[in-house]
Amino acid sequence: MIRMPGSKVIPLADLAALVPDGASLALGGSFLHRGPFALVRDLIRQGRKSLEIIKQSPGYDIDILCRARSVARVRAGIVAMEGHLGLAPAYRRAVERQEIELEEHACMTLTAGLRAAAYGVPFQPVGGVHGSDLPALNRWASVADPYGSGQQVFVIPAIRPDIAVIHVNEANEQGDARVYGTSHWDRILSRAARRVFVVAEALAPVASFQKRPELTLIPGFMVQAVAVAPNGAWPGSCWPLYEVDYPAVEEYMRSQGMPEAHLAAAPECREPVHA
Amino acid sequence: MPERWSAFSYLVTNLARFIRPDEVTFSGVNSTPPMLACLLAKRAYDFDFVYINVAGGVQPTPSSIPRSSSDPVLAEGSTAIFANEDFYDLCTRGGMDLCFLGAAQIDGLGRTNVSAIGDWRAPKVRLPGGGGGAVMLPTARRAVTWRTEHSTRTLVEKLDFVTAAGGLHGVVTPIAVFEKRDGRLALRSWHPDASLDEVAQRTGFAFDASEAGPTPLPSDREIAALRALDPEGQFERDANVASR
Repeated sequence: MIRMPGSKVIPLADLAALVPDGASLALGGSFLHRGPFALVRDLIRQGRKSLEIIKQSPGYDIDILCRARSVARVRAGIVAMEGHLGLAPAYRRAVERQEIELEEHACMTLTAGLRAAAYGVPFQPVGGVHGSDLPALNRWASVADPYGSGQQVFVIPAIRPDIAVIHVNEANEQGDARVYGTSHWDRILSRAARRVFVVAEALAPVASFQKRPELTLIPGFMVQAVAVAPNGAWPGSCWPLYEVDYPAVEEYMRSQGMPEAHLAAAPECREPVHA
Repeated sequence: MPERWSAFSYLVTNLARFIRPDEVTFSGVNSTPPMLACLLAKRAYDFDFVYINVAGGVQPTPSSIPRSSSDPVLAEGSTAIFANEDFYDLCTRGGMDLCFLGAAQIDGLGRTNVSAIGDWRAPKVRLPGGGGGAVMLPTARRAVTWRTEHSTRTLVEKLDFVTAAGGLHGVVTPIAVFEKRDGRLALRSWHPDASLDEVAQRTGFAFDASEAGPTPLPSDREIAALRALDPEGQFERDANVASR
């Protein structure tokens, strides 16, 4: 395609190159669904190191990044490949060997921290958590309701990722982005992060966004750059375009070490991406 | 009725029996048995309930049954998308009637460990983490969990780590159904092929069994509904539920 003047669309590899070593990186999607997996694989291809990964429910993404030794720290609520695939083995091993640091959350405590960042306040109350060992582990404070209800409420410090990467169905050259089906946690991730990167299955005309602005999840002015990666959530799903490629995930699970064959088989290598 | 009630069918059917009319009922990530239980209840019971799930589904009519309980097909046919922040906030403000949550270890108070086996800082096994647990278990009106293995490793006197507290309302294993009574898990029923003695021997915490008896056998409709959901036995093989 022709680069429009002022277009935010850049090649996927260039987008990955904007993520520095040591960055605090929030990833969209949930488990095997609509994750920015093409971008994650490009980070591995570029040898990125010491990343902090922030995501309520990572799986394939954190596992493959652990295989590539690209991770220093994780803040997550639940980590698994899900269903019959079980735990994320490379992640599990990295935590058990204490090669990476884990900040264990409930999905909603992580979200409370993100909400604090999004709302521009230093901390955010969250419901529940009472009786859990997590507050002591993470040194989360609780406060008495200053308005006298007698309730004790846990407060989570702000979590402000350097970059949020969101895989979407459609974007335009201005950076506006929309998804179909659930938005998972993507909205709060995009509001909490300092910068937002979008990876899109396809570009769509600006006029189509003007016609249905309420479908836009992330307005373009908040987005730094967009890359186009058809099938980029592979081997996961992207509703309604494609389902999880279970044979590919199972093959990944059977492989050991750096999954070279898996990386080489990915759609962003198979299909030329013109951006 | 089947000659034997398989451990998998026992698990899914008894999870479904916790579902009540007109209530808001939620199934989450990494939760294939509760997902099947909710879909079974929709087919086998005469009452309606509001089924919501982690894929954003609200009263969905999925065209296929996914192996991932967070698969977007679980929102197919929904008239709304009720995304993650929506259902968590609903729960913490008291609007979630029944919530299914995963657990690795469960104690007699109905608390759960989904974090680590051994010392959290130097774990023997790093588990997935609680996901919704720490927030949903204390705030849902009722929370129910399941284990595919009934043993003193999974039903313990003392948790290695308390991921979520607040007291489960129910626990279903391949051989037993527990329900909270007076702040502790009490045995409600046991698999008709098992016995009270066997349940006691294989459970690490003490429990009251004064009101327990054999679990009522599955109805024809429950059997037919599960067969329709798992015609090839794929989910039964995946779940690998052990009655021993």
